[in-house]
Amino acid sequence: MTDPAQKSGNDSNEAELIERAKQGDAQAFQALYDKHRRRVYSLCLRMTANTAEAEDLTQEAFLQLYRKIGTFRGESAFSTWLHRLSVNVVLMQLRKKSLPVVSLEETTQGEEDTPKKDFGAEDLALAGSIDRLQLQKAVDDLPPGYRTIFVLHDVEGYEHNEIATIVGCSIGNSKSQLHKARMKLRDLLKMQRAEKADKS
Amino acid sequence: MNCVDLQASLAEIEDGTTAERSPEQVAHLKTCPECSALVAELNLIAASAIELRAADEPSPRVWNSIEIALRQEGLIRPQDTSRSLLPALSSRWVWARWMVPAAAVLLIAVGIYVRQNSLARQLARDAAPATVVSDGALAGLNDADLLQEVAQLSPAMQAQYADNLRHVNQYIQDAKGEVTADPNDEEARRSLMEAYQEKAMLFELAMDRSLP
Repeated sequence: MTDPAQKSGNDSNEAELIERAKQGDAQAFQALYDKHRRRVYSLCLRMTANTAEAEDLTQEAFLQLYRKIGTFRGESAFSTWLHRLSVNVVLMQLRKKSLPVVSLEETTQGEEDTPKKDFGAEDLALAGSIDRLQLQKAVDDLPPGYRTIFVLHDVEGYEHNEIATIVGCSIGNSKSQLHKARMKLRDLLKMQRAEKADKS
Repeated sequence: MNCVDLQASLAEIEDGTTAERSPEQVAHLKTCPECSALVAELNLIAASAIELRAADEPSPRVWNSIEIALRQEGLIRPQDTSRSLLPALSSRWVWARWMVPAAAVLLIAVGIYVRQNSLARQLARDAAPATVVSDGALAGLNDADLLQEVAQLSPAMQAQYADNLRHVNQYIQDAKGEVTADPNDEEARRSLMEAYQEKAMLFELAMDRSLP
């Protein structure tokens, strides 16, 4: 947990960096980038599952941020502002690629017709913990619609009402997509374990 | 409540806390190990997801490109006087002192060349010496010198500079080819100007990083 005194110090430091960036200070731009780059890039990478695209989107998000930084008045946290802007940049890109952000056709098609895979063996249960890389790979394998909602809710911590506004769907749709995403992830993780067990 | 009812109702309790569960759900989960395991696994997935936040690092290329764009757009102001090019520099940095003016001269030469080309093909032929001038100026901005000066940076940054240099040189070559093919092509001439500007920017960026 972050020490409140340290957090306050970080906030004032960030406020100073923002002011310097507004004046065109190169070091301040870089310091702000260094502070937030991992979070923004990870968001882009999770949502696109493509390294090159994630880098381009990270670049675009920071450029948009810096172009608008003069208008930042500090009513919201800088990080909140940046992350919301980053989400919008990624969603815009997904829409450009004609990948539906939430597509019921795409995400549910075939599920009802396909028999559930049987992962009945007890030793394939997701007990204890989930390896980060395995989870990362499973998220990358999700259909884009599921992936978007899962990343926004479970990874980035947005509430369903916020997701509904950002993505342009109903709260119920967001909840439903999230549930299906987690169910799909469970299947994918168990498949990974089964494959690993077969190899060894 | 049976297993089907419970699983159908799970989407509504996906925010995970047991407080959200109805008495019927709680009663079923107490007596059904399969549903109980399912809920536990879904909660584990949700709890593990936060580990993916800020888990990855972008390559240095990203900041490099952002910085170049910020300079081109004029969002980064010029360095302050403590890093001015004007104060006396050690002999090691003398070449660098002329880098920006050289880049400016190069841009002017290219501008003249491009303008001459726009008049007519005949004038374009006359402008051939200007091509030589711009190539000569380009040679003055020695690529090897630039790479030598960024050699003190991290290997990743060096590789990035080398990559950017290759990219911009290719850009210049392509643009020159297009201008030569059709001297009246406004778009091609603009591309050539932008290519040289990008190269000048790359040198300026490298010099800023290298100066003490």
